[in-house]
Amino acid sequence: MIKNATVLTVTKGTLTNTDVLVSGGKISRIGKGLNAPNGVQEIDATGKFLMPGIIDAHSHIALSAVNEGTSQVTSEVQMGDVIDPFDVSIYRALAGGVTSTHALHGSANVIGGESETLKLRYGSTNPEDLKFENAPRTIKFALGENPTRGGRSRGIQPSSRMGVEAMLRNSFTDAQAYRAKWNAYKADKNPRKIAPEYDLRMETLVDILEGRVLVHCHSYRADEIYMLMKVFADFGITKLTYQHANEAYKVAPELAEFGAMASVFADWWAYKLEVYYSTAYNATILTRNGVTTSINSDSGELIRHLFHEAAKTQKYGDLTDEEALSLITLNPAKQLGIENRVGSIEVGKDADLALFEGHPLSVYAIPVMTFVDGVKYFDRANDIKDQRIYVNPEQAVENVTIFNREDQHRCMDTEVVSFEALFSNNK
Amino acid sequence: MKLLSIKTIRAVFLLLISVASLSVKAQSDPTGQSAVTRTFAITNATVVQAPGKEIKEATVVIKNGLIEAVGTNLTIPNNAQVIDGKGMYVYSAFIDGLAYTGSKRPENVARPNNLFSPDPPNDYAGITPENSVLAQIDISSSTIGNMRKEGFAISHTVPYGRMLPGSGALILLGDKSHADEIMLMNDVSMFTQFAGAPGAYPGNVLGIMAKWRNLYRNAENNKKHYDAYTENPSGIERPERDRVTEAFFPVVTKQRPVVFDVAGVLEVQRAMSLQKDLGFKLIVGNVQQAWDIAPMLKNNGTGVFLSLDMPDMPKEAKGKDLEAMTEETKQLEARKMEFWKKYASQAAVLSAAGVKFGFSSLDATGNKIKANLMTMIENGLNESDALAALTINAASLLGIDKIAGTVEKGKTANLMVSNAPFFTKDAQIRYMFVDGDKYDLEIKEKKEAGKGNASEGSAAGAAAVVGSWTYSFETPQGETTGKMIIKNEGGTLTGSMTSGDGSGDVDMQDVTFVNGVLTFSISRDGGGQSIELVISGTVTGKTYNAEVTVSAFNFSTPLTATKDDGQ
Repeated sequence: MIKNATVLTVTKGTLTNTDVLVSGGKISRIGKGLNAPNGVQEIDATGKFLMPGIIDAHSHIALSAVNEGTSQVTSEVQMGDVIDPFDVSIYRALAGGVTSTHALHGSANVIGGESETLKLRYGSTNPEDLKFENAPRTIKFALGENPTRGGRSRGIQPSSRMGVEAMLRNSFTDAQAYRAKWNAYKADKNPRKIAPEYDLRMETLVDILEGRVLVHCHSYRADEIYMLMKVFADFGITKLTYQHANEAYKVAPELAEFGAMASVFADWWAYKLEVYYSTAYNATILTRNGVTTSINSDSGELIRHLFHEAAKTQKYGDLTDEEALSLITLNPAKQLGIENRVGSIEVGKDADLALFEGHPLSVYAIPVMTFVDGVKYFDRANDIKDQRIYVNPEQAVENVTIFNREDQHRCMDTEVVSFEALFSNNK
Repeated sequence: MKLLSIKTIRAVFLLLISVASLSVKAQSDPTGQSAVTRTFAITNATVVQAPGKEIKEATVVIKNGLIEAVGTNLTIPNNAQVIDGKGMYVYSAFIDGLAYTGSKRPENVARPNNLFSPDPPNDYAGITPENSVLAQIDISSSTIGNMRKEGFAISHTVPYGRMLPGSGALILLGDKSHADEIMLMNDVSMFTQFAGAPGAYPGNVLGIMAKWRNLYRNAENNKKHYDAYTENPSGIERPERDRVTEAFFPVVTKQRPVVFDVAGVLEVQRAMSLQKDLGFKLIVGNVQQAWDIAPMLKNNGTGVFLSLDMPDMPKEAKGKDLEAMTEETKQLEARKMEFWKKYASQAAVLSAAGVKFGFSSLDATGNKIKANLMTMIENGLNESDALAALTINAASLLGIDKIAGTVEKGKTANLMVSNAPFFTKDAQIRYMFVDGDKYDLEIKEKKEAGKGNASEGSAAGAAAVVGSWTYSFETPQGETTGKMIIKNEGGTLTGSMTSGDGSGDVDMQDVTFVNGVLTFSISRDGGGQSIELVISGTVTGKTYNAEVTVSAFNFSTPLTATKDDGQ
């Protein structure tokens, strides 16, 4: 039981001097002066702030591989296959109050792989333990420079933005034909019928057509954001969240009308040509236009202070505390389809909680404890330096740089290992 | 530029070692062709029939490749060659659960012109499950004799390649003139690994997992199509004769196990998750990190071949070095030791959890196998479990327990005879019987106290290379220079390489110095995967002229080094 905290519920306002009782991994009671049942551990949170665990809707931590960049449509691959529970970035994220991440495929492909929503249960050796049980399936798409650069370097489609749209339309048209073939087979009463070829790539695309998979699309420019809505409208696909979407503010009313959501950076841009026309008011403009918006990290470093990233929307755009906090809690939960489980402090929801010294939207905020399913995974008072789960007995301790370019741009590029890279100190 | 694979270099040097020993003292029967009789009697020996089942002063009679009789008071056939086994120990010869022994790495498949990376030809993608390791078997490979010297008579040998290189076979580690003669059973497994195609689909573990599911599920469908067509082709479209899908049929029907090369704990779990999705019969091999997942392996009934490789034990700092260490460094060093112990006690942990396992030499160096087994025993594995893993458990995992794995009447005469209980430090193998053929191994005299036998070959004349060297070699980004420090530690050559760019020291592995040729390998991290570089060349006085080979990139470059003055 967390005693006497300022509870930032996100959905039901701010409750002062309030206790939150957790049992069986769920929030079971919220109120003033609660009596803890026998044997329940009490945490005195007087003067501290309790918020829902932060959710990062765009992350590539905890993955052994990010891109299968050899083909521009890889809807058959699954990030759930390559979860790396040993990634120390998971602990660093927990130390920033983060309890869930959306582990996305990279942006090398027009249609990348299925992503995996994770709960940061650090310490397990079993990748399955990190999966957010029963979270909806999601998939990564990508528009613009990244997939066209990959296409051009391999001499395959797409080499232009037009090619990206053509690949999307071709893929879904193929999927419709595939579905028709299988439906005909299933309807066939002939006992000696022969099944059509099975194609996992097409299976996933059919699931997207039928609304069983939420699409998260890497995008920057307003024209291509608008293009994808037209393509999806033509194929009857409705579940869509734009990732990065630096120019989404230009088409905010259109997004709202379509029901598309957006997950953006607070103030990060100009790292390539298509990302120049950007503004720190993006999240605010989208929010004011009724678009469900989140702020993400796409980085093993930014993920440690997403609460600061959210606070930037108060400097640029004057969002209320609740709106700003929603950007990193309830809204990303909605974008991942897990808002019935997490994203706010309500009775019955998962006890994924972050305790702060100082208001989390203040520059003086310090995360002090982080809980996933009521289990404490981070405690600033007991913060062991060496958090590695597996250690290589033959290796000297590796250099640790939390901020490095490789991490920053991990989702942007396909991984190419070259001989030169083996001898470069700046990997 | 000449392309040399790591394994080829190793094979060449192992060959040189064996040639060298032949010239000094020939083995009695190096070809297996000049035997005057195939009937043998080993008398008066301690026979370890099976783990924990020992007969003292017993006789083993071998005839026509089979164990004819085992016991005391046996009548010895007139034509038998009698081997006085007094003081000797007879074991069932060992079985290697997963190896490249006897297999020769083929030339890499050339990148096709106009490669369409999303859909490369099968041979470039590494999807050739219809192939058999037979095509790669090289009977003159020195690896056969080398593994036999370590006590092995049967090897489950798999082909080199990428994702699905082909089927594995059980081969007998004898010296024969034709591959068919050493073939015990062909097509016993479908070998697979997480090895992507360079710049083409499937490029990494993501694509490989998906491709695996797709191939398997299609094979299930295609099998039904084939079966219906075979039963009555009338009115059914002719199934396309797809060799890849046909190779999956025995896997789909669970007649042939899938053997996965999965060293790390995450890879093992990935293989298990595929198995859970698809339902094939799974054996995980070359496993190096299973201590945390023993119950999972047990409950799943997954067959396991643990790696015979082991990381080097971290060196404990002493004296001045210890004083210079900060508290934090000490803790980090302690964690290295904690994890080394996990590797060393892996076999004991699995044994205690009731997991049935054998061993694999896939990543192991022949002359370290015995030492590594002894380390496992020092770290909790009991001797009879170690023996079971090397014999009867491996036999039963490979489905050959009726003919191999114990010293029993009627089984194939694959025996190992040592001059002391095998799991003692100084025990040496005196004879090997493979398929009833006898191979004499010379017993090496101990020269100096404290010198291990296994490494003598590599350290002979080591003084010429021990010391500090300055090396340089060209990389595509310019010249790389640094120091090579080579030491002789109790008869074993070790060393480290420093790099001029400030990155950390790298330990040299498998350092050998034979007939003036210094060979070693180093690993570098390449974007999360370990890339092995093999360095080999001749030492003339104070000059070392060598070549660095990186088989992963089909790359080699010259390296020169000069011994520092005052050495």
